[in-house]
Amino acid sequence: MRDFLELAVSATASGCVYALVALAYLVMTRPTGIINFAVGEWAAVAAFGGFLTLTHAEWPYAAGIAAVTAAMFAVGWATERLTVRPLVERGAPVLAPILALLGMLVVFRELISVGFGPDPRPLPQAFGFGRLEIGLVAGSYQSFFTIGVVLGLFALTWWFFERTLAGRAFEAVAIDRRAAALMGIDLSRVTALSFAGGAAIAGVAGLLVAPNTSAHYMMGLPLAVQGFTALVIGGVGRVEGALVGGLILAFAEQLTVRYAPVPPGLAMGVPLVLLILFLLVRPTGLLAAREARA
Amino acid sequence: MNAPLLRARALTKRFGGLTAVADLDLEVHAGEILGVIGPNGAGKSTTFNMIAGATAPTAGSIDFDGAPIAGRPPHEIAARGIMRTFQHNQPFAGLSLAENVMVGMHTRFSAPLWKLIAGSRAAQRAERDARARAEALLDFVGLAEQRADDVGTLSFGQGRLLEIARGLAGEPRLMLFDEPAAGLTPAECERVAAIIRDIAARGIAVLLIEHDMRFLMALAERVAVLNFGRKIAEGAPAAVRADPAVLAAYLGSPAGDAHA
Ligand SMILES: Nc1ncnc2c1ncn2[C@@H]1O[C@H](COP(=O)(O)OP(=O)(O)OP(=O)(O)O)[C@@H](O)[C@H]1O
Ligand SMILES: [Mg+2]
Repeated sequence: MRDFLELAVSATASGCVYALVALAYLVMTRPTGIINFAVGEWAAVAAFGGFLTLTHAEWPYAAGIAAVTAAMFAVGWATERLTVRPLVERGAPVLAPILALLGMLVVFRELISVGFGPDPRPLPQAFGFGRLEIGLVAGSYQSFFTIGVVLGLFALTWWFFERTLAGRAFEAVAIDRRAAALMGIDLSRVTALSFAGGAAIAGVAGLLVAPNTSAHYMMGLPLAVQGFTALVIGGVGRVEGALVGGLILAFAEQLTVRYAPVPPGLAMGVPLVLLILFLLVRPTGLLAAREARA
Repeated sequence: MNAPLLRARALTKRFGGLTAVADLDLEVHAGEILGVIGPNGAGKSTTFNMIAGATAPTAGSIDFDGAPIAGRPPHEIAARGIMRTFQHNQPFAGLSLAENVMVGMHTRFSAPLWKLIAGSRAAQRAERDARARAEALLDFVGLAEQRADDVGTLSFGQGRLLEIARGLAGEPRLMLFDEPAAGLTPAECERVAAIIRDIAARGIAVLLIEHDMRFLMALAERVAVLNFGRKIAEGAPAAVRADPAVLAAYLGSPAGDAHA
């Protein structure tokens, strides 16, 4: 039991990170239809930003995190301006920006590898190393910190989309771009904001995993795959879908490693198996689009 | 009379070899209802699309409140105060009626997000006001009861009323109606006509496309008749109805159109 609860905490923490990456995809794909696989690279960029501010310059933790997140906002905004907008303005099909962003993925990775080399760089834990035990539930400080931050971000995003006028405008763009524009919504502003938000969210995911895995120039791809899988499992219709998808994926992974008689190397195939399964059986994801509400 | 709110000059739209609208002049004043009629394919919707910014004119100019708006993006034109209903209802599916209306007022009343997150009182009040305003508009068109329902539950006629409420949400100074009576029952037609009269009485300029001449004649102070993209007549409803060119245009098209 204790063993399982320990696993549950660590699986929830990784699931939260996957969920955050899935959320980054979601906030961009809902209003624009664009799947941006560079989210993993954005997470890596933020992780190196964390290395520079927290490890290298030894800023206080909160200040470093805030600065990197703000910088990621700008990175996302600039990425949209430079790669997506020129294509959309020329009326290119939706595949064109997706491919351009794949190109950006390579650019980001190469910039990191040129700037920092292939060696992993360490990041400090938010509250240092240590274990927290609440009754039978136990886990590292970082696990609990990750879970708390991610749940908070999900609550904020949910509130934005469901409860604010601007969030409803994003939803209207997701439903019908043309009509939304004629109702006065600035599509290019919505697109730019969704990329800025997506980059900030992906950046936080990178900052949360990096203390465990270290910042590394190859860290982006697995995050991009896991986040995408979580998105497919949960569906793009609702913010909660990303969270459910991330948790299911992480539990499936860790339960396989722990209890199934397969070598650990094969357990890495779990996301891919789930991805294929869901694409075949339930391509819309687990959570359908939400019901109407006043 | 004072300067018109909307003034289109030599407005032209070509789709490849087809000239949908040719050399069209239009003027609408605040509080006035200008009717636009014409047979199928005469270029009425295309004219609306150019005014609303959904499509750019090939040539000509459009001035709204003295500022040129031809070819400007639709959100900017909406922000200046031109809203529309669609010929085919286009509600935001999956949102409630109140939310649909709130989307229409986004440009005008949305508070900056950072202010909301920072817990600004004014921003929170703006959000609450938006909901109250949406409910007042739904009440105005007679859909207050269904405000929390999904738009999918509406009848066709109710969908039309929602389009009107959503258009009004942006506090337009010019409202474009594209065949608002098409497909409605006689009772619903009455209701829409009363609403349009009400809107004009508030000082909003109304540009009204209609197929149904009877509906239009009872509402519009002036009527412009389009045929093959050209304006063939303009004036008071009774005069236009008796105009030989208009009669010829309508006789040359499916007879049911005119209802004259
Ligand atoms: N996007 C487009 N591409 C090509 N041709 C178009 C386009 N939109 C409209 N047309 C053509 O332009 C002409 C005018 O169309 P428009 O929709 O403005 O007519 P309308 O007066 O609104 O007709 P209706 O009464 O049937 O609504 C038609 O011949 C139509 O086929
Ligand atoms: Mg039409």
